[in-house]
Amino acid sequence: MLKELDPLLLSQLRLAIMSYLMVAREAEFNALREQTGATAGNLSAQISKLQEAGYLEVEKTFRNNYPLTVCRVTERGVEAFEAFYKDLKTYFGQ
Amino acid sequence: MEQEEKVLNPQESLRVIRETIDLAKRGVGESGFQFLLWGWLVVAASLAEYYMLVNGYGVRAHLAWMLMPVVGMPVSLIYEIRRDRKQKERNTIREWYGYLWLGFGISLILALVTSILRQTPPVPMVLIVAGFATFMSGILIRFRPLVFGGIVLWLGAALCLAVAVREHSLVEAGAIALGYLVPGYMLNQKTRKNHA
Repeated sequence: MLKELDPLLLSQLRLAIMSYLMVAREAEFNALREQTGATAGNLSAQISKLQEAGYLEVEKTFRNNYPLTVCRVTERGVEAFEAFYKDLKTYFGQ
Repeated sequence: MEQEEKVLNPQESLRVIRETIDLAKRGVGESGFQFLLWGWLVVAASLAEYYMLVNGYGVRAHLAWMLMPVVGMPVSLIYEIRRDRKQKERNTIREWYGYLWLGFGISLILALVTSILRQTPPVPMVLIVAGFATFMSGILIRFRPLVFGGIVLWLGAALCLAVAVREHSLVEAGAIALGYLVPGYMLNQKTRKNHA
């Protein structure tokens, strides 16, 4: 029987954020915005959802007196992504 | 305000994952610059060494290799430091890439020291080590011309067995031109296209 896919990752932007961070282990908010092409508001909202689920951790610091937001995938996020990818492959019989 | 997000089907999910990971791989930031820099320096040093060897300069011919530490190292370091400053993310593949070339540097120094102490020709060892690093770079950033470049360098190492030691410099110049410079220019062109 096919497993139900993680609904949190069945969103274009959330999945793009997680996929990107699986390779780039951490990224600044602005880099994620450039790479995904999302608006700051939408990106921020989706990052919050991933953070609430424990998939991401967000660090807010300062650089040269400007606020700097850095996102990174947590262990739980890695596990969730890997499980999602595995479940996804079963859909295509891979 | 709550932001609505497009819900994906499995096919679209797989596409998003593949496209995004490909994008992240480009984050390695390899523009071919290092291949072009070192490629041209090796070609110049090899040809200068060969010219001096056939014109009776003896061991002084090896001084041509001073181009590497005197020109190559500072230019390469300045380029990497500048690039790192611009970087807004950590990238696993870039880290592996960096370790790969660090490993290459250490292997190269050990190979050169061994060949000097044992008085064996250094070129085959240099081409074997450079071939491995180039081959793996191509695999890491999924750029096939670099994979072929690595194979060309290995073939150059094998060719050294068939020619006189004095001719090794020429084999090295040819192998590096094909295995480093050609993929280096192709990578450079691809990067420019991606940024256009």
